[in-house]
Amino acid sequence: MEVLETSSSGRRAAIRRPATGLLILPTLLLLLVFFVVPYLNMVRMSFLVKPSVGAYLPVFTVHNYVQAVWDEFHWRVLYRTFWLAGLTTVLTLLLGYPLAYHLTYAPPRRKRWLLMLIISPLLVSVVVRGFAWLILLGRVGLVNQAVHWLTGRELILIGTPAGIVVGLVHVFVPFMALSVAGALQNISPDLVQAARSLGASPWQAFRRVIWPLSLPGVQAGALLVFVLAVSSYVIPILLGASNIIVMPMLIVQTLLDAFNWPLGSALSMVFFGLTATVVALFLRAMGRAMRWTRA
Amino acid sequence: MTARGVWLSLAVTGVYLFLIVPIVIVILAALNAGNYLAFPPQGFSLRWFIRAAETEPFLRSFLFSLKLAGWVTVLSTVLGTMAALYVVRHAARFRDLLRLAIVAPLQFPAILTGIALLIFFLATGIGTRGMRALLIGHTLVSLPYVFLTVSAVLAGFDRSLEEAARSLGAGPLTTFRRITLPLIKGAVISGALFAFITSFDQFPISLLLVSVGNTTLPIQLFDYLRFSFDPAAAAVSTVSVLMSVAIVLIVDRLVGLQAVSWSAPR
Repeated sequence: MEVLETSSSGRRAAIRRPATGLLILPTLLLLLVFFVVPYLNMVRMSFLVKPSVGAYLPVFTVHNYVQAVWDEFHWRVLYRTFWLAGLTTVLTLLLGYPLAYHLTYAPPRRKRWLLMLIISPLLVSVVVRGFAWLILLGRVGLVNQAVHWLTGRELILIGTPAGIVVGLVHVFVPFMALSVAGALQNISPDLVQAARSLGASPWQAFRRVIWPLSLPGVQAGALLVFVLAVSSYVIPILLGASNIIVMPMLIVQTLLDAFNWPLGSALSMVFFGLTATVVALFLRAMGRAMRWTRA
Repeated sequence: MTARGVWLSLAVTGVYLFLIVPIVIVILAALNAGNYLAFPPQGFSLRWFIRAAETEPFLRSFLFSLKLAGWVTVLSTVLGTMAALYVVRHAARFRDLLRLAIVAPLQFPAILTGIALLIFFLATGIGTRGMRALLIGHTLVSLPYVFLTVSAVLAGFDRSLEEAARSLGAGPLTTFRRITLPLIKGAVISGALFAFITSFDQFPISLLLVSVGNTTLPIQLFDYLRFSFDPAAAAVSTVSVLMSVAIVLIVDRLVGLQAVSWSAPR
């Protein structure tokens, strides 16, 4: 290296090029060997035969897919999983949008504290947050006690879809809020000012200027929340009290308890494919909606 | 304040309470002297913290998680910083592609990544015993945070100081150590802290890659919660909550949460 320094800058640049490649090489290797290859291996596994003894036989078959798709139970689980995630996405938007709006237009010093309040729960482990809701929603929990005191009835959400949705919404509101806030931040205050000076009411200015311009953030947030909610595992198990089965639970059971790697892989692929389809349909619908609001 | 402003403030306060109250409840439950997770608490005591520390599986998995997260942090910070330097400064045509590839492990469902890794490790005979498999799995999802925070700082970086150092005869490594690193230090540390907490709290990947004797704290806590329900679990959770809050405060001090809010871990 010392010799290189004294040579002309042109030669230095030519010789330095392979050295800068070394910066990215370990990360690329990590991704290739431990991310790309394992996923491709899972695709391969989904087409292999599950023998009665042992993990798999290297013989090609589509039987696993037939088994994955031909079971009504699997479809019920898939439907429930997507439904819960969809509802979670809508509710996170309803709670997260006002949060983002308030955050964006807060004075800088308060903004700092508000951001802390949003990011701190984000960093707390999902297991801990599931546990928190177990305490709150259980028989002796605050929520049930309050409801009992007010109405004389019991309200126990543990073991119900509602309990799962409450937990999921709690986990994902910060994602939505940060995503929408990112979009709101880029809207120039001049635009709102202009709309107002042209006679728009605050509500009209919001509906005609801010809301359409924030849609990319809504879209990004909804995508993120939906994809993460569909694949969540801890919250459905803890708050569903193992009664309500969602797709990730089914896949993990097939893999670990039934020790059926080929079927587990095929189920993963079906799940992955359907999630991607839902996302693509959502993107198309959003694209249309955005064009429509712009017109 | 207008009527609309009042309504917005009220609604927003409600959402903040919804976010924060459950976490505060966990801390209160841990400090409860009573036997059950009931409200109102029956007096103040630290006995559940002592109980948790004396519960061997909790202590062992806590120490294992710390060690694992420590190594994950070292690996992710070094590789992520190197990758950010390359992508921001040297990648020409492939910049966007590389960026997508590096954050891809965050876009894929972590539970599927865990399954893919489990099958891969078992099928290749690498196995999941010891820390190796977990180290690799966690690094995949922690490295992107270092990459994101460091590349955000590098993108708006004035290179004239580096050029001055180089023209005064400093080598590339010296320049990096004396000029670049001190300037991006805040982002590197923030990224490292995010990587640490991502690994320490990691669940889906750990679920599939833990092995007997090598269990992480979240998995241990999860197993415990499925069969028992007492304030010792709240004490363990409180430790995890305090860690997260400490990290938020440090990152806010170092680079400001505003700068990293879009890359905060999930």
